[in-house]
Amino acid sequence: MASTDARGRLGVTIREVTLSIRWTDRKRLAVGVVGVAYALAALAVAQVPGSKTFAARSGATAALVVVAGLSLIVSGLIVTSVGPIRRLGELLILAGFTWFGPVWEGWDFGPPLVRSIGMLLSGFTFALLAHLTLAYPTGAATAQADRWLVRAVYGEAVIVAIGLALVRDPFFDPNCWINCIDNVFVLWSLPDLSRVIVVADRWFTVAAAAAVVVSVSWRLAKGSGAARRALLLIVPPMVLVFGAIWARAVALTATPVEDPAEPVFFALFVVAVVGVILLALAVVWAAVRSRIQHRSLGRIVTDLREMPAPGSVEAALASAVGDPELRIAYWLPASDRFVDASGTPVAEPTAGADRSVTTLVRDDRHVAVVSHLATLPDLEREIGTAVRLGLENERLQAEVLAHLEELRASRARIVETGDEERRRLERDLHDGAQQRLLALSYDLRLAHASAEAEGDERAASLLSDAIERSKAALDELRELAHGIYPTILAEAGLGPAIQTLADAAPIAVELRGAVEERYPSAIEVAAYLVVAEGIDDAARRGATFATVDARREGTRMLVTVEDDGSGTRVPMVALADRVGAVGGTLVLESQRTRAELPCA
Amino acid sequence: MRVVVADDVMLTREGIVRLLHDAGIEVVAEAEDAEALLQHVRSTHPDVAIVDIRMPPTNTDEGLVAARAIRTEQPDVGVLLLSHYVEPSYAMRLIEDQPERVGYLLKDRVSDIAVVVDALRRIVEGETVIDPTIVSRLVGRRRREDPLGRLTEREREVLGLIAEGMSNKAIAARLYVTERTVEAHVTQIFQKLGLPESPDQHRRVLAVLAFLRGA
Repeated sequence: MASTDARGRLGVTIREVTLSIRWTDRKRLAVGVVGVAYALAALAVAQVPGSKTFAARSGATAALVVVAGLSLIVSGLIVTSVGPIRRLGELLILAGFTWFGPVWEGWDFGPPLVRSIGMLLSGFTFALLAHLTLAYPTGAATAQADRWLVRAVYGEAVIVAIGLALVRDPFFDPNCWINCIDNVFVLWSLPDLSRVIVVADRWFTVAAAAAVVVSVSWRLAKGSGAARRALLLIVPPMVLVFGAIWARAVALTATPVEDPAEPVFFALFVVAVVGVILLALAVVWAAVRSRIQHRSLGRIVTDLREMPAPGSVEAALASAVGDPELRIAYWLPASDRFVDASGTPVAEPTAGADRSVTTLVRDDRHVAVVSHLATLPDLEREIGTAVRLGLENERLQAEVLAHLEELRASRARIVETGDEERRRLERDLHDGAQQRLLALSYDLRLAHASAEAEGDERAASLLSDAIERSKAALDELRELAHGIYPTILAEAGLGPAIQTLADAAPIAVELRGAVEERYPSAIEVAAYLVVAEGIDDAARRGATFATVDARREGTRMLVTVEDDGSGTRVPMVALADRVGAVGGTLVLESQRTRAELPCA
Repeated sequence: MRVVVADDVMLTREGIVRLLHDAGIEVVAEAEDAEALLQHVRSTHPDVAIVDIRMPPTNTDEGLVAARAIRTEQPDVGVLLLSHYVEPSYAMRLIEDQPERVGYLLKDRVSDIAVVVDALRRIVEGETVIDPTIVSRLVGRRRREDPLGRLTEREREVLGLIAEGMSNKAIAARLYVTERTVEAHVTQIFQKLGLPESPDQHRRVLAVLAFLRGA
């Protein structure tokens, strides 16, 4: 849960880096109108004779630039209206506005302030696109390294913008191209420092563009199937955009002047523009997909009927968000542990490489912890009331099931302890009283022999009586010990023990089926008792014979005693308890006693 | 006659030894577990080893396992197993395992030393000895259609004695009849029960016991 909290806080940090806007249709309309006007203005400016920008090169390039910029703004607006990943929409809109920076900067004989601002804006497009790519598809960069990369590109863009604003005098820049006159902000004209900043910025861009590509490739390689599918769509535009940016930066180190007529630069420009358009579309698609997932989260309501089977919420959530590995662990405060829907204890879910955990809280109580794909949107916020009720219901159900399982285990323990105790008692009898009595009978026999040898008839007759009595005592003790615990069962197993029962039964017993292997002692004892009491009960009901069948079928042992008795049956409570304690069932029919025992 | 006695309970072991001594049987060694028993049998080479079926360490069927080991290592040493409980399963296992020179008696039986001496003698002579209590339990088993109903009283008596491991000669002596008469009874019994007659004493016992148990 700690990781969830950490994640939550980080989410907030990232959000603060961008904007925190409550989007309404009115705001979207306003931004849309402003954006279109802005783009049309840029189109007009690009047509001004004397501009040396890409947009100014021909009508087609102007159209390309405007289409790319507008697609950023419009996609951004769509994404903010679709919902779940508004932050990406905001990034798109911002990138759309900075996108036209070079056009303003290249406005020949335009207002110096506008040209200066254009120069500063241009630098932020790269940072915004990098952030966009790294935060795709959830709206927040999850890996620590990615978050540092985002901070670095923004930090660098700010430093470069301030630096250039203060010291770059285009007039003294030998490599100036689109704007060689205006920088209204300049305080100190320092051409050398300005050149250092430009070169450093170029190398930083080379490194950062490569880092973005490496980071996405890494996520792609390490992610699970679903995570990978979510990322795939951004890969082609990312390669185009950052490849072009990288190549442009590298090319500029050799040819510092970026002449749109130069085929290399022109080609890179076209590639970058196409990439930007595709990038915008990829984000729109991610937003729509995410919205669909949320719709299905909402639809779960209808799937969760009045009495859903344990695990249905998990299954419904998993299919709704397309993450088959999604797991829900329910928190049982009373016993201080996590269980799944069936009440089986599970480990506390933890966040992994591409998996996150979300703690769902209701009335300040932990209901469940969901482990899901890290790329999923904020579950805590998105799942509806119905799912919450379903979860709460399932948690209660899981709690009951867990209690039942505890009871069953405790019942099994009680029975096992009892058996153990009986076995010990039998052993004590065998090693103690029985042996002493036996030795006594041997001694009496010796005494008898010697009394006879001495001709003491009175003593001999007394001893003879004593011998008989000791024999009777031995017999009784033996019966008692055998009743306490049938040693044959522990020693030789169920098969021979049932055979012995049949040998001594008061009615004819036929044996069918064969149990050769050994089973856990609790199962053997339960099966033995079913046979023993089944036979006794048959005899009580006036049966003349019984057929005993004990066999294993898969993971169950079936023990059946069929008879021809006609008396009415009475419930065999103790036996049912005994069978229930090992997780089995006992069924009594008019002429049949039948038990199913688990023996996995 | 020389015997080794193995029983983990000293009291019982000493009682048995005293009885045997009184009956003039030489006890050459005493053992309190299976391992010691096997060592003594190797070093003293007795006529018969008298073995408690239940001994440490597991207190289950060590005696049976030891009997198998003794009979495999030294086929001319007989084994008489002693048991507290009437367990036909163990008796069957013993004689299924060992072709001859084995016996299975209840411990109470030992106090009747004449029975023990007789059993030891029969084992040395190569016969099999099964405790009459076990046999009578098997003969007395309830059956749906009792095949033993086809036998006469005398034939049932003979059948029991066969199951106890007695030879025709011994049966004749016990019933005060001629061996010839016994042979005639045996033929009748085997025919009526549909059992294959075998000259092999041991097989005869096994067949009868299996029949009594299964039918």
